[in-house]
Amino acid sequence: MGKLEGKVAVITGGSSGMALASAKLFVEEGAYVFITGRRQEQLDDAVKAIGRNITGVRGDAANLDDLDRLFDTVKREQGKIDILFASAGKGEPLPLGQITEEHFDAAFDLNVRGTLFTIQKALPLFSDGGSIIMTGSNASAKGFPGFAVYAASKLALRSFARTWVNELKGRHIRVNLLVPGAVSSPMQEEVLTKEAREFFESLIPRGKMGQPDEIATVALFLASDDASYVNGVELFVDGGMTAV
Amino acid sequence: MGKLEGKVAVITGGSSGLALESAKRFVEEGAYVFITGRRQDALDEAVKLIGRNVTGVRGDAANLDDLDHLFDTIKREKGKIDILFASAGKGEPAVLGEITEQHFDREFGLIVRGTLFTAQKALPLISDGGSIILTGSVASVKGFPGFGVYAASKAALRSFARTWLNELKGRKIRVNILSPGQVDTPDSQRLDKATREMFESLIPRGKMGRPEEIAAAALFLASDDSSYVNGMDLAVDGGFSAI
Repeated sequence: MGKLEGKVAVITGGSSGMALASAKLFVEEGAYVFITGRRQEQLDDAVKAIGRNITGVRGDAANLDDLDRLFDTVKREQGKIDILFASAGKGEPLPLGQITEEHFDAAFDLNVRGTLFTIQKALPLFSDGGSIIMTGSNASAKGFPGFAVYAASKLALRSFARTWVNELKGRHIRVNLLVPGAVSSPMQEEVLTKEAREFFESLIPRGKMGQPDEIATVALFLASDDASYVNGVELFVDGGMTAV
Repeated sequence: MGKLEGKVAVITGGSSGLALESAKRFVEEGAYVFITGRRQDALDEAVKLIGRNVTGVRGDAANLDDLDHLFDTIKREKGKIDILFASAGKGEPAVLGEITEQHFDREFGLIVRGTLFTAQKALPLISDGGSIILTGSVASVKGFPGFGVYAASKAALRSFARTWLNELKGRKIRVNILSPGQVDTPDSQRLDKATREMFESLIPRGKMGRPEEIAAAALFLASDDSSYVNGMDLAVDGGFSAI
């Protein structure tokens, strides 16, 4: 018997990397999973790779019309949500002095505004006792040069979690942050130069980046009843980079 | 197939409450578990309750001779440790102004000194890639009146975790803190009604945790599901310390 038998999960940005690995694991544990992504082709590949109990809904998590379409689909097909993993997010590095309005708006629109409206629009479908997981970043705690805007946008989510834990307590919905460190995912591989990768690895006690599967097992923990008394935490999954 | 198949775990203070529940869960997941406790009768009952793949070793985690005896037994019987859950600890209240040397020495002697020597004496037996879990407390970040010494002793463990994960990284041993909030245990059932209600009013769901809910988090930190989680202080308190 899987840990998520009979549950319906929505994972935004689920067509690649950590979120895709999580979608795969959630399905293995018995859940029906909706994933989203902006590129149809990549989404189709992800759906095919998972193979069963999965629906891909094309959309941009920063676009409120796309979010409406997502939750309309979920409502029509499954009628409820037990787990929401708001994982869509992105951050390009730019140091202070070179930050443009476009850079700021892109990060905050997707990471903060997009996450807020994803959750708000999901709420009417949410089962009492459900689990909301947002994706933070250990950049928020480390101050890596160039990542000010990204890091600040992710820390705003940490604050959302505290407020929503309180606002949703009557419905027993838990809200936690999963905070990945350096992980060998397509998104990070794209952003990181070889030097940056070596720099990050030098900061990880075990000297090796995480794998998407190592994030997925933590997402499963937070999604499942194993974490029934875990609420409002910021769970760093970074091999100890932030702790030392 | 359990998540701890073939693993050997040591849980100090394992004869009651959260630690006993964790011992039970670890055995269900395939581990062989050593538990310790000061009282032989409580220990015997715990061993009987778990029923299989468990050894009870009587001892006080603040007593270094008892710790030597514990690890000698493990070495002889199993030859290795994969998971150390240092859970022995007890908080007695004393407000500033009324703190005695005995109070300070007892709290730091068991929680800080005892945990340090438990980990240090276990070290030669811990397998590469093993997991050390220290028990913290949300009291360390909340400042409850009367728990100054207890909270500080638990905060010291949070600091140990940072240092040790660096010192042990060559052996890929992970060190994390599990910080329970209010949990229904034989200890907390001794709280008076008003105190219990005060604590429950601070928990978003309005109900204390159950020992099984701590055991599930301990299993997560003990198993490979948390292979990329290191140096964390994981609060398992229903959101009590987050808000």
